[in-house]
Amino acid sequence: MWSQIVEEWPRFATYYNFLFIAKAAGTTLALSALGCVFGSLIGLGLAVCRVTTSRWLAPVRVVALLLTEVFRRVPFLVTLMLCFFAFQATGYDIPLFVVAAVSVTLIAGAFLGEIIRGGFKSVHVNQWEAAAAMNFSLIDTIRLVVLPQAWRIVLPPAFGFFVMFIKDTALASQIGVIELTYVGKVLNNKGFSAALSFGVILLVYFLISYPLSRLGAHLEARLASSRHRRA
Amino acid sequence: MSYTLQYGQIWPFLPRLLEGAVVSLQIAVLAFCGGLFIGTACAAIRTFGPRWLARVAGLYVVFFTNTPQLVQIYFLYFALPDMGILLSSFAAVVIGMTLNAGAYLTEIQRAGFESRRASEMEAAEVMGFTRLQQIRYVILPHVARVLFPPLSNQFIIVTLGTSMAAVFGVEELTGEAFNINSQTFRSIEVFTVTAGIYVVLTLAASVALAFMGRALFRARTELI
Repeated sequence: MWSQIVEEWPRFATYYNFLFIAKAAGTTLALSALGCVFGSLIGLGLAVCRVTTSRWLAPVRVVALLLTEVFRRVPFLVTLMLCFFAFQATGYDIPLFVVAAVSVTLIAGAFLGEIIRGGFKSVHVNQWEAAAAMNFSLIDTIRLVVLPQAWRIVLPPAFGFFVMFIKDTALASQIGVIELTYVGKVLNNKGFSAALSFGVILLVYFLISYPLSRLGAHLEARLASSRHRRA
Repeated sequence: MSYTLQYGQIWPFLPRLLEGAVVSLQIAVLAFCGGLFIGTACAAIRTFGPRWLARVAGLYVVFFTNTPQLVQIYFLYFALPDMGILLSSFAAVVIGMTLNAGAYLTEIQRAGFESRRASEMEAAEVMGFTRLQQIRYVILPHVARVLFPPLSNQFIIVTLGTSMAAVFGVEELTGEAFNINSQTFRSIEVFTVTAGIYVVLTLAASVALAFMGRALFRARTELI
């Protein structure tokens, strides 16, 4: 295997191959970034919906619960296919990147909704009651009382999920989005050995993911310890 | 939108989807059990083993948790034949998923091992337990209770991960969905039914695991 890689390397290490890989890495990063941003917004919305108490909003709570539970229990590949065919059925010509971004966002929203809800639950019930006693609206309670305390709990696992999305976007290659995994397949089809083409792709993923997961671990240690200090 | 949903064409294929679900569960159980074995060994090595071996286990974990499972399986499936090792797609998927699950389970198990109390270990030492006996009789029963909820969570993640096998042509649940889709072209119907089966499957697994955890280890697992 090694001799083969050494033999192929000069042919592989061309400017255009590297440019191809770099562009694909950009697509992978853009997909995960979109998933993070919109997923966080959806997740926050779902979490807020689920902590409402009004009887009239019961249907909203049920819908939010169903959305989180369903998208957490359907594999990414199946969600991706559903989005792909649903967009196709609308008859519009929607770019594959958008299809992939929408499916990443749906999954991200469901998972982050659970994480944020966990953060909400970690804020002591007295705080919620005090805010209610001060006649804060639900949005004000969350904005001024709960989120300033919950973000320390929410951030470390949320960061862990952001790093996970980078790897989950690999499946977007299945609908033809030209991201890292797709490039691995293309390079393999161009005649480079699988060990070389997929090995390089694995390495690129690692170079993106490893620094971020280290940052996540650092964040966790820092936020968790400061929480203990205060307690 | 001119698409009309026609579920009638899908129902005859339901038995095939359910057969696929059985294959999915087989892959999940194989990968999870293998991963649990690797994870326990690596976590023990990382906590108690010699430093160089702990470092090797650490490298394994870092590498597998920072690269996508899909590409790992691509690598196994396409690169190993070049070295003279031919794997069936089922074997490649199971091996890839086992190695991947092993890395995540190492991290989960290590947290469990580190949650053991110093006094318990000292008591075991006073009783003259060897290292292996300490792990077997003191640490494992204690950490099982702590670890059960995250482990059952990981089992669900592994079950969802099995859908990747479809990419390699294994006829598990998603693979069957692809097949039926290419026979009927009722794409949205096929994949909504498939998604529904996954929801039922993982929900059933979650509930079963939660009850098992409560009965065996008094582990507290939230049902939803």
